[in-house]
Amino acid sequence: MYLNDGEKRILDGSKGYIAQKCMKFLVDYGEAAGAQRLVDIDGTVDIHPGLKTTWVSDYEITLTEIKELAARGEKFKVPTIGNKPIEPAFIVDGWQNCGTYPSSDPEHHKKCLENIKPLIQMGMVPILSCTYYLVSSYLPTAGQHCSWGESSAVPWANAILGARANHDGCFQSAYLGKIPAYDMHLSENRVATILVECETKLETDMDYDLFGWAVGEAVGIQVPAITNIGKPTWSQIVKMNSGLNTGGQVRMYHVPGLTPEAPTLEAAFNKTSCKHKIGIGRGDLKRIYDMLNYASNENVDFVFLGCPHYNIQEIQKVARLLDGKKCKSALWVMTNPISYQVAERMGYAATIERAGGILMSGACPGILRGEMPPASVMATDAAKQNYYMTGHVYPRALDTWYGTTEDCIDAAVTGKWQGGWR
Amino acid sequence: MADTEVRIVLKGRKIIGGRAEGEALTSKMPLMGWGCVNEKLGFVTERNHPLYEIPFKGKVLVFPEPRGSGGFNAYGATRRYNTNPAAFIYRQGFSLTVLAAMIMKVPTITDFDRDPVEVIETGDYVYVNGDEGIVEVVKKKK
Repeated sequence: MYLNDGEKRILDGSKGYIAQKCMKFLVDYGEAAGAQRLVDIDGTVDIHPGLKTTWVSDYEITLTEIKELAARGEKFKVPTIGNKPIEPAFIVDGWQNCGTYPSSDPEHHKKCLENIKPLIQMGMVPILSCTYYLVSSYLPTAGQHCSWGESSAVPWANAILGARANHDGCFQSAYLGKIPAYDMHLSENRVATILVECETKLETDMDYDLFGWAVGEAVGIQVPAITNIGKPTWSQIVKMNSGLNTGGQVRMYHVPGLTPEAPTLEAAFNKTSCKHKIGIGRGDLKRIYDMLNYASNENVDFVFLGCPHYNIQEIQKVARLLDGKKCKSALWVMTNPISYQVAERMGYAATIERAGGILMSGACPGILRGEMPPASVMATDAAKQNYYMTGHVYPRALDTWYGTTEDCIDAAVTGKWQGGWR
Repeated sequence: MADTEVRIVLKGRKIIGGRAEGEALTSKMPLMGWGCVNEKLGFVTERNHPLYEIPFKGKVLVFPEPRGSGGFNAYGATRRYNTNPAAFIYRQGFSLTVLAAMIMKVPTITDFDRDPVEVIETGDYVYVNGDEGIVEVVKKKK
């Protein structure tokens, strides 16, 4: 891999031991990936704050080292956003009454906040959510090079913003402001290679969740140009991206007229001829819906909403559905810490609490490795959370219902799953 | 007529060097991490997956591509629990597979001249030369 003089100096240790260690990772990673060079990040980095902010443990920058850097006044080179915390994951807001361990332990919460302090001192913006891109107040623009680290978020960078991001956000890319230039950083890899025509009218949020899964499953890791999906809301794009990256791994796509690199269908294919074309219809959505309803027991113990972390409109919807009602099942509603504050101000946190649910931020049962209220039957409106959860609790058996937000709220209130394909 | 051994050579691109050999365990379905693989037990825990609960320790793990969460790096974490495959062979990948392979530190090859998922079947015996990007497949007797 080609390195310029400045990069060589970092690698030979002239810029300090930590910088050298970071550069060593970027070079080894770039060579393994087949990158020709590094690119300067002019967009943003996101990292998962916690004890491990590096992907490969051989190149680990320890908390002690990060503390030393922070104490010396060192800063991240580029705008850096704190994604949901991992290693360990923790609930940022609303953990006090969750009743599960270790999340309800005040000492655990305090320790987790302590761990991420040095990262904040170095300039990491503690948004602490997988939907950081909805509320971070700063985003990359079209063409800017980034290093992100969230499968449901990466297409927000590539497709929705037209920025250029691989799934590799980490301490090293934030500290040096560089990342190997391959895959989504290179124009030729961003061109559509398959046309996906939506053959059904997508209306509900669930439609987009299922459609995303169906497209992901069909195209795998290809770059699709997707047509006829109507005018999705932001909530629906978030859900579609999440589905795309559970059913498959679609880090870039085009929707002519919606995504910036595809003003037209011809532009999506960069004037190359479209060789493959597939259609996704109502039957595909139904098949995935049935696969996700991995359950037979109708007595729902636990309802989880907010994967990816809910925006304020989704919280509002839940609060209105719950207003004046009482839940029979445990209910967690997960959002990002910014929207949590807004929801508190609007009284929604209190509404949800009065109904017996909890509004929370910053985590999910998945990232908490299956930590949830005692349950053998769960319901959720998120295809992603639903599908992973049975693996997270392995070998414990878990029934997982899937449906609309309304079906899930109904299950929380009545304690019974009464959803169904409509 | 005596059985003749069928050998097939595939040429790909090195991700991680080194040599390994072993029996192939092939998945036609993409692999995913984040709870859908259990790094401590060393097998797939994804419901509906053809490799569900089949140990991959010591096998040459062959798959088309990754899907899903960045938690794919749990494949890399199998190294920590000594449940890791002997080699990692896949049709096409990107950061998810590269980072997992760097953690796993076993010979890893991708971008082959022929589709490894079509050529290599479970039970074939596979010699992996990560440094040269070459995989030699001895087909199992039918």
